[in-house]
Amino acid sequence: MTARDAFLSAPTITENSVTIDHLNWLEDEAISILREVFGGFERPAILCSFGKDSLVVLHLAMKAAAPGKLPLPLVHVDTGHNFPEVISFRDQFVKKHGVPLVIGHLDDSIAKGTIRLAHPLESRNPHQTITLLETIEANRFDALVGGARRDEEKARAKERVFSHRDSFGQWQPRAQRPELWNLYNTRIAQGEHFRVFPISNWTELDVWNYIARENIELPSIYYTHQRQVIERAGLLVPVTDITPPRAGETVVTRDVRFRTVGDISCTCPVASTAANADDVIAETIAATASERGATRMDDRANDAAMERRKKEGYF
Amino acid sequence: MSPHATALTPPLSRTAGEGASRPLRFITCGSVDDGKSTLIGRLLYDSKALMVDQLDALSKARGAQSQSGKLDLSLVTDGLEAEREQGITIDVAYRYFATPKRKFIIADAPGHEQYTRNMVTGASKSDVAVLLIDVIKLDFTQPTLTLLPQTKRHAALAGLLGLQHTVLAVNKMDAIDFDAAKFARVVTAFGELAASLGIHAFTAIPMSALDGDGVVAHTERTSWFQGPALLPHLESLQLSEARDNTTAHIAVQWVTRDQSDDHQRWITGDLAESTLSVGDAVSVFPSGATAVVAALRTGRGLVDCAKPGEAVAVRFDRQVDIARGDWIIAGNADARVLTQKTQAIIAWLDNAPLTVGRRYVVRHGARWLPARISAISSRLDLANGQWRDTDAGLDDSLPAEVNANDLVRVEIEFAQALPLAAFAKSAALGAFVMVDPGTNATAAAGMIQ
Repeated sequence: MTARDAFLSAPTITENSVTIDHLNWLEDEAISILREVFGGFERPAILCSFGKDSLVVLHLAMKAAAPGKLPLPLVHVDTGHNFPEVISFRDQFVKKHGVPLVIGHLDDSIAKGTIRLAHPLESRNPHQTITLLETIEANRFDALVGGARRDEEKARAKERVFSHRDSFGQWQPRAQRPELWNLYNTRIAQGEHFRVFPISNWTELDVWNYIARENIELPSIYYTHQRQVIERAGLLVPVTDITPPRAGETVVTRDVRFRTVGDISCTCPVASTAANADDVIAETIAATASERGATRMDDRANDAAMERRKKEGYF
Repeated sequence: MSPHATALTPPLSRTAGEGASRPLRFITCGSVDDGKSTLIGRLLYDSKALMVDQLDALSKARGAQSQSGKLDLSLVTDGLEAEREQGITIDVAYRYFATPKRKFIIADAPGHEQYTRNMVTGASKSDVAVLLIDVIKLDFTQPTLTLLPQTKRHAALAGLLGLQHTVLAVNKMDAIDFDAAKFARVVTAFGELAASLGIHAFTAIPMSALDGDGVVAHTERTSWFQGPALLPHLESLQLSEARDNTTAHIAVQWVTRDQSDDHQRWITGDLAESTLSVGDAVSVFPSGATAVVAALRTGRGLVDCAKPGEAVAVRFDRQVDIARGDWIIAGNADARVLTQKTQAIIAWLDNAPLTVGRRYVVRHGARWLPARISAISSRLDLANGQWRDTDAGLDDSLPAEVNANDLVRVEIEFAQALPLAAFAKSAALGAFVMVDPGTNATAAAGMIQ
């Protein structure tokens, strides 16, 4: 028996071990980190893709501010290749909660010539970094809150909660500041900024349990729906204008949901009939493929892909 | 029997009581080849926290198969590209796994000497220290067993940082035929060291992280050992946020106003050390103003009583001058003891050495203020875990300069008197961080004595 077979045949966690105390602990830690941002920076903002992780962060931010109002704007990097369900969710969300939204358009960077695409249908995901850094500079943001989690990926496992970025927006993994107790060193020089990750210590299962407990509303594509897809290299690739079928490929209609919401050109759904958060929790417990591996084409390129992009200023 | 067959302990009945199910954070301390990464890989693997694609990436990685054909579990934790090439862990990585009983957060800290700062970082956010001993490196032929300098360093740090529990993972027992007498000698040697470093209790466990003995369960080879295996032990540990004989404190993070018509001010921060209830009298540092708690909120909404460790928002019964950096202290103002000059232990973290007399910026609670080190009284000699007087370098066996990874006892003078407490009594009032005002680098972690 190979080690892989032994691993797969080992017993699986079948019980949902996430309890209320555990979620409260994570909630308190996140609220505390968010209040550091509210109180400790001049021009903070929340970076929001309106995916589930950033919506959990927004929910926590509103709790951290309660009974006061959210003291910082939201920032969305619009690649121009978005799922329409996510954009309409975004617009309804900011209207309902009355929060200011700053949008950085990738198309603006292309028009300015700061982004040049190799071909029109190229994945826009890696180019987001440029638009994001331009948006940060234009608005002089000194702290950007994000929904990254350390369990997502190896490079993220090493990132600090308050992660320093130099004046070029770069992460220096070798020169990270030691982070002691909750005494965060938030001091920066002109032009530098921090990325702040309040849900660093949450896992995918924690996020879904919290969404279920708090009734957090998500874009509809997180739950089962019928969609035209192509089966390509073990992934279900959604059929869109940007990702059309290639010659010889068969388009099929499947019951699917998305586990992450990114640029349309590199985000794939998984086969699922989960209609609500509780169904997703049941599926997550049974899942044997980690989140990014199953759904993100960009990270599969190679093992060190994320670390390289992060060093360049990706979030 | 394959250790994987016993991968998960059956869920035991949940013990009732406060904090029974809060996540347990532990730091693993050991050097590159003590089997630390293998131990973590083993825990993740046996608890199925590894996913298939992670496992596949592992199988693809160069050198993943060891000569015996076993998967090299140590590769699981080596996150950064350069590290994979060098085969060493160079920074703290956080790992997550859960059993039916508990969620765990592992701070995987490097054991190599120049990276002590990362261990301090990881330990400051941990409840439990798991110290690895590599029995292959010990000389059992000597009448008195000598532990490695790095074990002394790790134990000293664990003791200083006041972790709630210490576990001694006596690893690679397979290499010494699971010899119970040799295990006992390691425990005796560590017991003497622990006593000298302020570690009052520890649990020693014989194991082979490579083969799985003693990690999730004991095997026939460790059947002579009466204690628990590592994972069931970690599952059962009780954690406490409250300290004895301390009053509630809040380092004020941010002040907001109610969105309702009355625009009442709410003061936010983390509640430390003790509970706080509506109706409690408090005083404010530095203004000295007193007030009564009129309302309390946590993430769960309005509450009558908040527990230590909770992120709270407080409304007072009257207008009080208060801002970020101030303290809310339970009790009346007369109980406050303010200190400006005191003894502390600092772990120096910056590559630039400490300059005595120089103004640094210090963070205490949410307050930033200038401070300087006025004298160095002793330093920890890591060869034997003993504190030795420095007396301005009279002891020529120790260098006078304080460099990265050094631990020294100092006199520190703050720019203003603060509500300080010994770190052992209150982590909230007793901890501080020193920052180089020129580079903004985090220069030192400090603990008031």
